[in-house]
Amino acid sequence: MVDKDKERRFKKDLERKFTQEFGDNKQSGGEITDKKTEYQRMGVAQSPRKMEMMKAGQELSKKRGLVGYNPDLHAGGVQLGQRALTPSYLSGTDMLTEMDDLHYVNNAAMQQMWDDIRRNCIVGMDSAHETLEKRLGIEVTPETINHYLEVLNHAIPGGAVVQEHMVETHPGLTEDCYVKLFTGDDDLADEIDDQFLIDIDKEFPEDQAQQLKESIGKTTWQVAHIPTVVSRTTDGGQTRRWMAMQLGMSFINAYHMCAGEAAVADLSYAAKHASVINMGEMLPARRARAENEPGGIPFGHMADIIQTSRAYPDDPAKTALEVVGAGCMLYDQIWLGSYMSGGVGFTQYATAAYTNNILDDNLYYDIEYINDKYNNAAKPGADNKAPATMDVVKDIATESTLYGLENYDRYPTALEDHFGGSQRATVLSAAAGSATSIATGNSNAGLSAWYLSMYLHKEAHGRLGFFGYDLQDQCGAANVFSYQSDEGLPLELRGPNYPNYAMNVGHQGGYAAITSGAHAGRGDAFATNPLIKIAFADDLLPFDFKEPRREFGRGALREFKPAGERSLIIPAE
Amino acid sequence: MAEIEKQYYPGKTSVANNRSKHMSNDLEKLREISDEDLTLILGHRSPGSDYPSTHPPLEEMGEPECSIREIVEPTEGAKAGDRIRYAQWVDSMYNAPATPYFRTYHSAINFRAVDPGTLSGRQLVEARERDMEKITKVQLETEMTCPGLAGLRGATVHGHSLRLQEDGVMFDMLDRRRLENGTIVMDKDQQARPIDKKVDLGKPMSEDEAAKRTTIYRADNVPFREDDEVVEWVHRIWEQRTEYGFQPK
Repeated sequence: MVDKDKERRFKKDLERKFTQEFGDNKQSGGEITDKKTEYQRMGVAQSPRKMEMMKAGQELSKKRGLVGYNPDLHAGGVQLGQRALTPSYLSGTDMLTEMDDLHYVNNAAMQQMWDDIRRNCIVGMDSAHETLEKRLGIEVTPETINHYLEVLNHAIPGGAVVQEHMVETHPGLTEDCYVKLFTGDDDLADEIDDQFLIDIDKEFPEDQAQQLKESIGKTTWQVAHIPTVVSRTTDGGQTRRWMAMQLGMSFINAYHMCAGEAAVADLSYAAKHASVINMGEMLPARRARAENEPGGIPFGHMADIIQTSRAYPDDPAKTALEVVGAGCMLYDQIWLGSYMSGGVGFTQYATAAYTNNILDDNLYYDIEYINDKYNNAAKPGADNKAPATMDVVKDIATESTLYGLENYDRYPTALEDHFGGSQRATVLSAAAGSATSIATGNSNAGLSAWYLSMYLHKEAHGRLGFFGYDLQDQCGAANVFSYQSDEGLPLELRGPNYPNYAMNVGHQGGYAAITSGAHAGRGDAFATNPLIKIAFADDLLPFDFKEPRREFGRGALREFKPAGERSLIIPAE
Repeated sequence: MAEIEKQYYPGKTSVANNRSKHMSNDLEKLREISDEDLTLILGHRSPGSDYPSTHPPLEEMGEPECSIREIVEPTEGAKAGDRIRYAQWVDSMYNAPATPYFRTYHSAINFRAVDPGTLSGRQLVEARERDMEKITKVQLETEMTCPGLAGLRGATVHGHSLRLQEDGVMFDMLDRRRLENGTIVMDKDQQARPIDKKVDLGKPMSEDEAAKRTTIYRADNVPFREDDEVVEWVHRIWEQRTEYGFQPK
């Protein structure tokens, strides 16, 4: 039996947060199990970051002659900070941050994660090579491919390759822009210059590399990262257009093609449409978004973008938790929080799932429970899974949810940390759903557990989230196992724009985690698309997709160096 | 108030029984709040003033011929043409008697022409002003509310999940009400605008009394895990919704 009284993973976090002074919040002493506390009502003066912001606001007002940030305008003169303003740990790290620093505006790592997804596309090389060889009779060899990649890495940031009298972009502004190649053809891989190659054998554990190569066969793909500054100035749809334009020019240069010949159009068509993999699908007209915008990124793609499963193949819970962090940040803080609503307060819906180890504690408890009761079904593997039945879902989801609910009762500071019902609902259901998907290797079983967790939570507390939040979770169970695309889908193929998922926060990061949990639990190398999994196995990317939560911490601590900065072309301060 | 039959709730615990009582409006009256005090703390109009209206009384309007209008008797507020106003509650998770869903069930089952909103940290009812006041008065005067563990808050509602103050009262950022001489007094309205007097909302419940009257399951009081019948019904609802949706034909 699992020991329910053992030390919680969040103990250290909550002790630091609630029983020790931070800044000048005059909060010290007591236990994290206390149900009462003294409220000092100190306002923003207790928080170093708020004071920095206030000073900046005052300086700004003076400089521009127009008022700005002023905490005294809150609630008719009552400043924020009537309860203690407390810091949070990024889960799975020792990084302690102020909560303001986890708003994406204040966090360069969060911005870069989204930049690195949006500015990325994958383009097949095989159809282009066929065009060159079969139509034009041009020989394609590893040497020509290497040469083409050299040309393309000059061209894709904005370097001219065939025309005279061209303007070009400055390499100092586009240092994050490049193209690499990967292939399932070991012989070809051996011949590709190391600087251009994403080496599947090197980046993935042996069994995962094998799975990936079997999945993609002997095909060859190029991964393009257009400049962050371009992506930010335009939109996600620009990624494939920019890529295709520079790619076409580079083919002309590298293979001495005629700039006007019809084959160039074939190459363009392949790059822009036929052979391109976008990270996000195009959204319907009412959302008015192109490809590679967050609302179009299926949960299975998000599960593949995050790289934790290749770094920690024996810890599927860690994979799910990192996907939760990344998913909540992108889908909640940026997509729903900004694109869809324009709000500022969505941050704390999301951060509850990736700070202070509360979700981590719940999920690792579940892993022990599953391994104990279902014969190590939570360990990676395809043959050890618990059956994806209603009884198994019911059992794991119920135990997970009740354990999490009881933690809120036994540790009032955990409840206070997750001060909103939507936060608690996300965390409890993400734990139940991820645990069930890891145990069964079936993401829709995990989704089913998510909904049961919501029902149990609502009934236990007599409250859940807010109107729309509750609606989504009351009706969701009815389409868990529907596979017709207008009623349901495998969770891997659902996304933020799926009916009912398009309207409120706190869900989509959890759904992505459930998806990743199913495959990490099975020991799969990828969840949905092997090409995306390989494309992000690249240490040259500014954002480390193996450890998104640590990266958010680096951003909060101002240690993260982003791309796309404009200091080269603006006056020095 | 509509005449309703007793509402049932699964389970045999005090929490289950209290949930049934709230839904059935079978509530013990614990305190008296005058109409004037209620008006003051709601903050929608001055005590003694007429109800502002958005249309003339229905009987003066000459309503169009409509079978639905013939079937449905308007509420007093609707007859008079009252505007729509709200009362919003925050209930502490430390054994406040009410929870958002059961406040909603109470008003939706027992009163007509109400528009309840249910969230995690607050619950509001919108209705014609005089109808809303009736509902609020019932909720304020009965065992549904402990003035120390619940509060009327139009905005800035933060507090339902926070540790209690050292005096056992639920935190309110805007300090609308507080414990003075053993009773809870409120000297600001729902929106935290100062009012002319300290409205006495009565004594807060003792910890034991709140634990007995609450509708929230807690591990340190009535654990949800141990109310088997409730958990079983949640499972049944989940199974049936799931299986109903899976009809591959």
